[in-house]
Amino acid sequence: MNVEMQRARRRQMFIFLLVTFGMLVLLARLYYWQVLQSHSGYNLAQQANQEHLQNQILDAPRGLIYDSAGRILASNIIRDDVYIEPVQFSVDHPNGDTQGDLQTLIGALHGALPSISIDTLQKAFHDGMAQGLWAERVAVRITPAQSQTLRNLQLSDVFLQPHTWRVYPGGTLASQILGFVTQNDTGNAGMYGIEKQYNSLLQGTPGSLTAETDLQGNPLTLAPGNEQPAVSGANLTLTIDSNVQYMVETALANAVKQLDAMSGTVVILNVRTGAVVSMAGYPTFDPNQYGQYANQLGCENQAGVYFNPAIYCVYEPGSTMKAVTMSAGLDTGLITPDTTLDDQGCMSFSDAAQVCNWEDLAYGTESMTGVLIHSANVGAAYVAHNILHTTHYYPYLQKFGFGQATGIADGQENPGSYRQPGNPLWSVSDLTRQAFGEAIYATPLQVALVYQTIANGGMQMQPYMVASIQGNGHNANTQPVVKRRVISANAAQLLTGMLEQAATKGFAQLAQVPGYSIAAKTGTATTQGISADQTVASVAGFIPASNPKFVILVKLDRPQKAIYGSTAAAPLWGYIAQQLMWYYNVPPDLPL
Amino acid sequence: MRVSSRPILAARRRRQLHPFFFRMGPVGLCICSVLLISLMAVLYLSQLGQAVTANQQIQTLHRQQATLAREDQDLVQQIAQEQSPVYIAAHAKAMGLIPADPKTVIVLVISHLKPIPSYSQHLQP
Repeated sequence: MNVEMQRARRRQMFIFLLVTFGMLVLLARLYYWQVLQSHSGYNLAQQANQEHLQNQILDAPRGLIYDSAGRILASNIIRDDVYIEPVQFSVDHPNGDTQGDLQTLIGALHGALPSISIDTLQKAFHDGMAQGLWAERVAVRITPAQSQTLRNLQLSDVFLQPHTWRVYPGGTLASQILGFVTQNDTGNAGMYGIEKQYNSLLQGTPGSLTAETDLQGNPLTLAPGNEQPAVSGANLTLTIDSNVQYMVETALANAVKQLDAMSGTVVILNVRTGAVVSMAGYPTFDPNQYGQYANQLGCENQAGVYFNPAIYCVYEPGSTMKAVTMSAGLDTGLITPDTTLDDQGCMSFSDAAQVCNWEDLAYGTESMTGVLIHSANVGAAYVAHNILHTTHYYPYLQKFGFGQATGIADGQENPGSYRQPGNPLWSVSDLTRQAFGEAIYATPLQVALVYQTIANGGMQMQPYMVASIQGNGHNANTQPVVKRRVISANAAQLLTGMLEQAATKGFAQLAQVPGYSIAAKTGTATTQGISADQTVASVAGFIPASNPKFVILVKLDRPQKAIYGSTAAAPLWGYIAQQLMWYYNVPPDLPL
Repeated sequence: MRVSSRPILAARRRRQLHPFFFRMGPVGLCICSVLLISLMAVLYLSQLGQAVTANQQIQTLHRQQATLAREDQDLVQQIAQEQSPVYIAAHAKAMGLIPADPKTVIVLVISHLKPIPSYSQHLQP
């Protein structure tokens, strides 16, 4: 090998070593960034992923709520919120005519959203820039036309964010049954009513999408990604009928206004199944604008207007309670409809306070049917005190469901209350008063269930409002459930006859429906401590009495123009009953 | 001098075993390699282009789907509103209709009348 060749070899070796050294340095540096710093220190892997990976939450559509005929009571709409990007705007306009561009942008925004003043928009931009806000919402729930206008304008530093809203097409219709949904940036939650009770089923499960994105932030569908699809909320079908509900709500509102009452409640149950056909309260609210009703009260100002008064607001049932006293007497066999007492208008008891009839009216020798016809407090107290005693009376209060939640709405029911032996505050006067509906607090639904039990041959059904649940892993139809037998079929039949006579000959004559037999009892309750003319007027009963289809309870709180169950509540009861018979094509059972 | 034919046969066999391009020189081999790599690059870019186009189409379809879903919900809402008795009653009143006076209603009782199933299905008390 000559000298030239050796030099060349050395040069080659030098270059080789140099390149090798360089490669080693690069490898070491690569190891440092790729291995040592990828998951610790600068956490480069995560930073890189944040640059090109996007994690989206996929909203689960909230389930719809239908009435028994398939009409939608609650649905969803998507509307856009408008956001501006103050910081991005200042980044996009570092040196140029910032003020001029801002005015142009604000002018365009104001043109699309005239309800937002130019001053408001200017303030939003300037405040946002000063505070370093990347995004600031300037408009909520804009109309579809406004959304389209803004999309067409393609304004820089302005974007639309879709948002799902719960809407109730009927407005106030059945609002106290449905409740409402609070909606904010973090999600939504059902409040009150069905929306709260079935919130977990209705809201479904949100999904997620993790995917690489392009420069505009659109997910690259073909790139590797991870999608967890959203599970839509379940659809609920209620037992209520919108048409009946509307008729009842309208009639109730008219009655409350005409009688200058404080509030009112109506409950209609299907006698055979226990399904709620209608449940109305007044005053009520519009769930589409629930915030406007935050300070309004319902049910004798006992609670907010959002509560369903039929299951939440308790009252003293008054004379409608006499049906319970008679039920206990008939079922135990201790009385018959023809059992008599001497009613002198007032009755004194050795161990309890004196009980008197309305205006101390005396009826002389009076049958049990007569007690219901005259709505005689004396007769009811006599049965409870002298015939049934505590041992036979209180078990029936328990069996009828007083003092217990019915189970129709978990956590939203008031179970009511009454004193009974064992309670240190109980006295025999409680027994005599409870016999005619004082000193006992019940919800309208509990009182309606008493009459449902009588109409259904003594069998109390479990009341329910949700007929079926479809979706979100559920596919269930509610089957009517017998809760318990409260009284015998014979006792129920005897009592039906007594209530029929009470309706035709007693105080419920204004509730009569031509062509139909009714079994009903009026009630006029006063509250201790307030004026005697501040009453709770009510009627409870069922129609047709010969083959009961519906139980109707009407309750008006403190009506001023007419204060008795017979004059204030009975006409409304009759109107609703007649409309029901026509709507459901129930054939008359009496000659027209 | 006698020449053996064996080496010639051996060379012929070697030529048969090795295809002709193995005999290409370095220049030819480079050109072929460049062409091959170019072809693969073209194929790759073509596939990538198709993927990007498909992705854009999917994005467009997603946007259309979102728009249609929104329109669908709006239409459902519109139907729900127009089916609502509140809406119907308001329009009936606007048209001059008034609630029937119960006294003027005549109830006809037709014994053994079979109800119309589709009409009365949800009207079972």
